[in-house]
Amino acid sequence: MKKLLGFAIVLALLVSLASACQKTPGAPTTGEGPQDKELNLFTWEGMFPEEVLARFEDETGIRINYSTFDFNETMLAKLEASGGSDYDLVIADDYILEAVISSGLAQKLDLSKIPNIGNVNPIYQGQFYDPNNEYTVPYGAGVQTIVYNPDAVQIEIDGYEDLWDPSLKDSLGTIANHRVINGMALKVLGESYNTEDLEVIEAAGRKLIELAPNIRVIKDDNLQDDLLSGEIDVAVMYTSQVTMAKLANPDLKVVFPKEGIGFGIMANFIPAKAPHPDAAHKFIDFILDPEVSAECFEWLGYYCTNKAADELINPDYRDFLTLPEGFNEDMEMIRVVSAEAEEVHTRIWTEFKAACGQN
Amino acid sequence: MSAEIKAGPTEASDPGGVPQKRKAALRRFFDAATISVMPIYAFTLLFVVGPLVYMFILSFLKRAETWGVLREFTWSNYTNILKPVYLKTFYESLKLAFFTTFFVALVGYPFGYFMARLSATWKRRMMLLLMIPFWTSSLIRLYGWIIIFRANGTLDKILMGLGITQAPLKLLYTYSAVVVGMIYALVPFMIFAVYSSAEKLDWQLVEAARDLGATPWQAFITVSFRLTLPGLLSGVVLTFIPSMGLFFIADILGGNKVILVGNLIQEQLMKARNWPFAAALSVVLMILTSIMIALYRKVSGVKDLEGLV
Amino acid sequence: MKKSKIPSLYLGLMLALMYVPILLVIIYSFNESRISSVWGGWSLRWYRDLFRDRDIMDAMTNSLILATVSSLSAAVIGTLAAVGMPRANLKGKGIIEYLSTLPIMIPEIILGMVFLVYFALIRLPFGMVTLAVAHTSFCIPYVYMLVKARLVGIDKSYAEAAKDLGATEWNVFWDITLPLILPAITSGVLLAFAMSLDDVVISVFVTGVNTNTLPLKIYTQLKTGVTPKINALCTLMFAATMLIVLMSAWFAKKSVRKTERRISSEEASGIRNSVGLAR
Repeated sequence: MKKLLGFAIVLALLVSLASACQKTPGAPTTGEGPQDKELNLFTWEGMFPEEVLARFEDETGIRINYSTFDFNETMLAKLEASGGSDYDLVIADDYILEAVISSGLAQKLDLSKIPNIGNVNPIYQGQFYDPNNEYTVPYGAGVQTIVYNPDAVQIEIDGYEDLWDPSLKDSLGTIANHRVINGMALKVLGESYNTEDLEVIEAAGRKLIELAPNIRVIKDDNLQDDLLSGEIDVAVMYTSQVTMAKLANPDLKVVFPKEGIGFGIMANFIPAKAPHPDAAHKFIDFILDPEVSAECFEWLGYYCTNKAADELINPDYRDFLTLPEGFNEDMEMIRVVSAEAEEVHTRIWTEFKAACGQN
Repeated sequence: MSAEIKAGPTEASDPGGVPQKRKAALRRFFDAATISVMPIYAFTLLFVVGPLVYMFILSFLKRAETWGVLREFTWSNYTNILKPVYLKTFYESLKLAFFTTFFVALVGYPFGYFMARLSATWKRRMMLLLMIPFWTSSLIRLYGWIIIFRANGTLDKILMGLGITQAPLKLLYTYSAVVVGMIYALVPFMIFAVYSSAEKLDWQLVEAARDLGATPWQAFITVSFRLTLPGLLSGVVLTFIPSMGLFFIADILGGNKVILVGNLIQEQLMKARNWPFAAALSVVLMILTSIMIALYRKVSGVKDLEGLV
Repeated sequence: MKKSKIPSLYLGLMLALMYVPILLVIIYSFNESRISSVWGGWSLRWYRDLFRDRDIMDAMTNSLILATVSSLSAAVIGTLAAVGMPRANLKGKGIIEYLSTLPIMIPEIILGMVFLVYFALIRLPFGMVTLAVAHTSFCIPYVYMLVKARLVGIDKSYAEAAKDLGATEWNVFWDITLPLILPAITSGVLLAFAMSLDDVVISVFVTGVNTNTLPLKIYTQLKTGVTPKINALCTLMFAATMLIVLMSAWFAKKSVRKTERRISSEEASGIRNSVGLAR
């Protein structure tokens, strides 16, 4: 066995040697600063129009390496695995930013390198994950919205409660985020998304089971396609999906649930050991330019977080991309809850999905 | 073949002195066969056993409040599995796996069996034709099924065009859609397994049985079926095991309403951030899988899965 | 034996069913309309778009390199192991054999996750290295199993005769065993290649900066909306697969028949005995 171990160690050495020799594109370059010629961008697929990225490359001579992740959790796991040294700029969701920042994986921004920072809409700043705006710059926001096809639905829908209506049997589609959907039931019960009261979460679970007969599909991606093709008549969706659906079929009705609005923000941050922080700052500043921003948000379909860009957005889109008046009061962001509460959340969610499969 | 002869005595006990022992050990170490298996030993120990040991340890750790794990021992991940809803998930997975395997056998067995009776040229052509879809990106093939199943999709258009149905069938996001997707993804494994065992079958035996007065059906049961049973069983294992872990199909064709252990693991990792629980689920799943394989070996008396590919 | 039409009919029907989804994807790749549920007439615009997409072309290159590296490493490790295993004087052969097949037996998602953490632990830099190691791990079983199965059908007397004539172990392997098992290695490699070219779940976890692979690209693009560009890409991939399969067939062609005969004669004698007893 010893020999084997010896052999294994030799092989391990060889492998690590080989990998050390291999040129890693993200490895820290000797002198940082204005000569950064690369930017390792890490975010979801499709966050920027091709043209914007190409223009940035042309103007600055910095090449963008666009890497994608599928879930926030994948991103954090990878960031942790590399100690935050592979990527220069990450865009992710609010709740995960809290974990990133508290794990020390993000670095403080040098605001002097971001002259356009003043363009950010202050509504989206000073949030729980970054109360002093030291680490993050928002890029897009969304709310969970009900969208329905008035031709196929007999009732008037103005809140989550209506989704329980028996006339909607087998015609409802929802996104697959357990906190959002459990949160629907919590909101109907008049509770907070982030309640730590396990009894209340259990009650929401029981309420949710009653919704099961109405559920036709639960999925995160391309839910709008199902609404457009008539697979479902009502959907609970993210803002970008609402924008896409509305653009394709203007007759669809958009409802901000009367029980309260779940709100989310995506934001940029620079990992602690980013190899090209300068390029990252440049990029943040670049996309804060009002015209670039307008172009990005039209393409992205999320709420515009750049106040200066609001004016420039094509009027056809403006209604979807800017927040309606008086939105502040009912908004609540979904935050990470305690391990016990999270465990109940995932359990009632699994029970809910199992119940959906029964019909 | 000298190594083979030496293997017995040197392994068991060596009463000789230390120098002799070392010499024997050295010779053993430098034996060509031994050297040739070194890479797989090293690779497996380093890159398979290592990660699996890590997974095993992880399954006994506690999750941290928001992210990551704490270095504290706990059984709770395993006791957690005993909660009704998670047990039910295992039950549902087993049920779907049984369903899938049953239909896969129903569809795949005759296919593999008939294929083995073709001429050599046609066998080869058939093999190719079978492999091409099997080798195409699995995600894309699933997407093809969406085109077929969705409201006013291909199937609806055909059925409504023929006047068989009047309204869209709403087939997408149903249990049946998942089963079809599963069968589609896994049937090649069954076909290859049955084929590789039916191919070795001596057809003269079947004829002999017929000559002795057996009906075709009797001849099939007593001769062909019995002799292809190892292949069928191997196909059953090769279908059953992956059908527990495939989560894409249940997600994409089932609209997330059919939850399998694979989906549960994925969700625990990606949404609930409960890595230890995901690890515990995987350990249990791995044990189930290993039991299946052991059972197969016992029942069929064959050591390897036939027609793995 | 009487020839019934039913088997051929059955085989034909089932095969046709297997091709329907792929055919639809191919047809829709020529769809002018962006929305997949609307047919907007025939067009090649998505192919044009595809070739302009720098990222997709980069991903394609990465995928091909990765699949080549991992399937070839698997070929070396798997073949050596399959040949040496029966005669190697090492303990725990059965266990190692079992363990080495685990990567294709346990859910990919958990494998991906443990790989991620484990690679971080042993400080492998994320990128091609980690991708290649991870892919090799699930490529080995395919080569190993195929070669092992092939070895069973090979007459040992060749090797023994060669040894009696003074050939070294190396000569025997190089001149006798290897040519005989080459078809199995080739099919194993091609299968492993295809598996590597299709892997999403593990790759998501172990990929690094700048090492997007094609399946990853497809997966993330499908998540943001099904564009006909992806259909076009898939059509091209399908064509490439066809090419690979045809190549593998060409390689495997000659020796297949020979072994068939040998195996069946060995087995048949055993089977005949058992049938005789039953009677």
